Amino acid sequence: MQDVAWFLPAWPPVFGDLALFGGLLLAGMLGGELVHRVLSLPRVTGYVLVGVLCGPQVLGLVRDPLTAGARVFVDLALGLIVFELGHRLDLQWLARNRWLALAALGECLGAFFAIYAGLLYFDYPPLLAACAAAVGTATSPAVVMVVSTELRASGQITERMLLFTAVNCVFAYVALMLFLPMVHLQHETSWRSAILHPMYLLAGAASLGFIGSQVMLGLAKWLGKREDRQFILLVAVVVLEVGIARALNIPVVVALLTLGIFARNLDYDHALLPLRFGHAGQLLFVVLFVLSGASLDFSGLETVATVTAVFVLVRFLGKALSILALGRLSGLRAGGAGLLSLSLLPMSGLALVMVYDTATIYPRFGAELAAVVLSAVALLEIIGPLATQFALKHAGEAHPEN
Amino acid sequence: MAEAMEFKHSQSLSLGIEIELQLVRTHDRDLAHEAGDLIERLAKMKVPGAVKPEVTLSMIELNSSIQPGFAGALAELEAQRNAVAKAAGVLNLGICGGGSHPFHDWAERRVYPADRFKEVTRRYGYLAKQFTVFGQHIHLGCSSGDEAVYLVHMLTRYMPHFIALSAASPFYQGEDTSFQSSRLTAVSAFPLSGHMPFVPDWAAFLEYFETMRGYGIVEGMKDFYWDIRPKPEYGTIEIRVCDTPLTVRRAALLAGYAQALAAWLVEDRARAPLAAVYQVNAYNRFEACRFGCEGELVDPYTRSRRKIGQDILDTAAAVMPQATRLGCVDAVRELGEDVRRGYSDAGWLRARLAASGSLPDVVREAAERWSASGKTPTL
Repeated sequence: MQDVAWFLPAWPPVFGDLALFGGLLLAGMLGGELVHRVLSLPRVTGYVLVGVLCGPQVLGLVRDPLTAGARVFVDLALGLIVFELGHRLDLQWLARNRWLALAALGECLGAFFAIYAGLLYFDYPPLLAACAAAVGTATSPAVVMVVSTELRASGQITERMLLFTAVNCVFAYVALMLFLPMVHLQHETSWRSAILHPMYLLAGAASLGFIGSQVMLGLAKWLGKREDRQFILLVAVVVLEVGIARALNIPVVVALLTLGIFARNLDYDHALLPLRFGHAGQLLFVVLFVLSGASLDFSGLETVATVTAVFVLVRFLGKALSILALGRLSGLRAGGAGLLSLSLLPMSGLALVMVYDTATIYPRFGAELAAVVLSAVALLEIIGPLATQFALKHAGEAHPEN
Repeated sequence: MAEAMEFKHSQSLSLGIEIELQLVRTHDRDLAHEAGDLIERLAKMKVPGAVKPEVTLSMIELNSSIQPGFAGALAELEAQRNAVAKAAGVLNLGICGGGSHPFHDWAERRVYPADRFKEVTRRYGYLAKQFTVFGQHIHLGCSSGDEAVYLVHMLTRYMPHFIALSAASPFYQGEDTSFQSSRLTAVSAFPLSGHMPFVPDWAAFLEYFETMRGYGIVEGMKDFYWDIRPKPEYGTIEIRVCDTPLTVRRAALLAGYAQALAAWLVEDRARAPLAAVYQVNAYNRFEACRFGCEGELVDPYTRSRRKIGQDILDTAAAVMPQATRLGCVDAVRELGEDVRRGYSDAGWLRARLAASGSLPDVVREAAERWSASGKTPTL
């Protein structure tokens, strides 16, 4: 009998990453649509809820979303998003509008020091507090990109939200990498590796981004202004760069963010056509949010509830401070500064990845502080997209159909 | 009956210019929706003339003050341009001339949140959003209503000149329309477009207007979307066929030419208004929109056909005495030179597409050209 049925798979069959991807995509899409139709909430919220449902704490269909196979999808989706975000960062705008540049920097510093001070108040070790503050400075690039795309938002608040997010992501990563040597030293590795490791990460990401942008721009020039060809080129370079960054142990997000920034600001010949990933990008984004939903950890929420609440609150106030102070000077209309601050609330997949990667280098971080950061992520993963949607709608920048 | 419209007296042949401008995003060169932010910002700056909103959030309108001549109009337009360019830079917006945005999707347009524009949208439906086209209006002062009626009739013969000289909308919805000016086609869709009836004087015009008002078809002159119309509340006639040129300089040149031409028509009086002008008007208008200076114009006075470009050169020569007196010789000469060497803004836009290969690049270059000062480049 067994010989006859040799073509049958072993039982139970082993489903690989491909089935996981497809399944999460389908489930996420359904969840997003349901939440959108029934509750008029952003689809992102639906994706996340499906993730929570599939995650280890409920159904257990997805275990360890940030390791092994699933991490490929997370890196790919984040890579694509931060590349597009980097491509929206127009350095000439910052050069022309110094108040805006100052506000963007102030937003980073405000959030960082507010969180840092908040955590010190609760007697967390300074170094850990600084690392957590760095992570908390970043706004979720995925949420702001996906929500603004979904609303077809266009206007000053939208543009500035994307700009500030790009800036605070760069700030967060650079800050985190600067704290790494100290983490290393506390961890009793040699001083050489303590200095060399951050240098390797920063220089590696920057050179990877630069080389990738030169390849991209050179080939785009050769291809000419053809949207279909350039689309393949962009996806190819982005995926390749994600792969190389992973192979070289360089943070994917920094490498791809740099790639986007260079591709925009070094494109002197205007070789690249305006960037549109469209529906293709959406595929990865759905999976990203489902997976980040699956990695949410609500278990610590009860024990660190107060710290988490303070973390979220001071983070918001820290971000809002310089925006409110410099909003009018930088050309925002009345009422715009508050909405912009609100739109920058989300914190999500990127923070998860940062925490996860820091904890692999420095396990104590995971044990002591990850709970606070991860609880904040869990909270903001739910309210963040709502805040962004609210802000863009009230700014009158969403497409009227929404 | 509502009170009769009084034709306000104004300095004969004084100039006023209105230009509608495109607001474009710098990252993809599509139309932006930031007219509100830009106008709020400009309100805080010292800008001569006035800056006004238009029906969609993707456009603003610059109005000049009343100007005696070409030089003053140009200086004021340049001051306005510099202020707008500066404010737009703060918001990271591009500002563009040209009669149409080459590739925007009209369905994406958002209506400016003011009652007047909401009413236009309610009444005209999709036409309101399709009307996201960008024109230049030239006001010429008239001493009386009768003079206004006379000038409207006489200038109609020359409207193809203004269409051909200003043509800057070869692309529409991502396609080359093969027209030099595709913008006027959008105007033709409105029920009250077309031209003024062939009335002998202001009294007869008022009679016509009151009849239309009696029917409830119009409330004021603003409801007529004519190519050229009297504007009694300003004491002017208003030429409305021009695309917004790619530079403020060309906008001023067109105004200078209009002033010299009107002066010649008022003084010369060699010809009288002719009903036949309106019989051939639609044909001439099409030729000018489609082919620009290469189009043919039927002249009912001489019962002949001729190239619009040649007709412009002959007219420019005829109005030289008036141009000299009014200080717009340079304007008339510069436009004539462009006709001779075959330059048009539409042609420039097509050449940029051929060189760069993409419409977003065309928009970027047009925006750079609008913000920079300077004369017409060589092709």
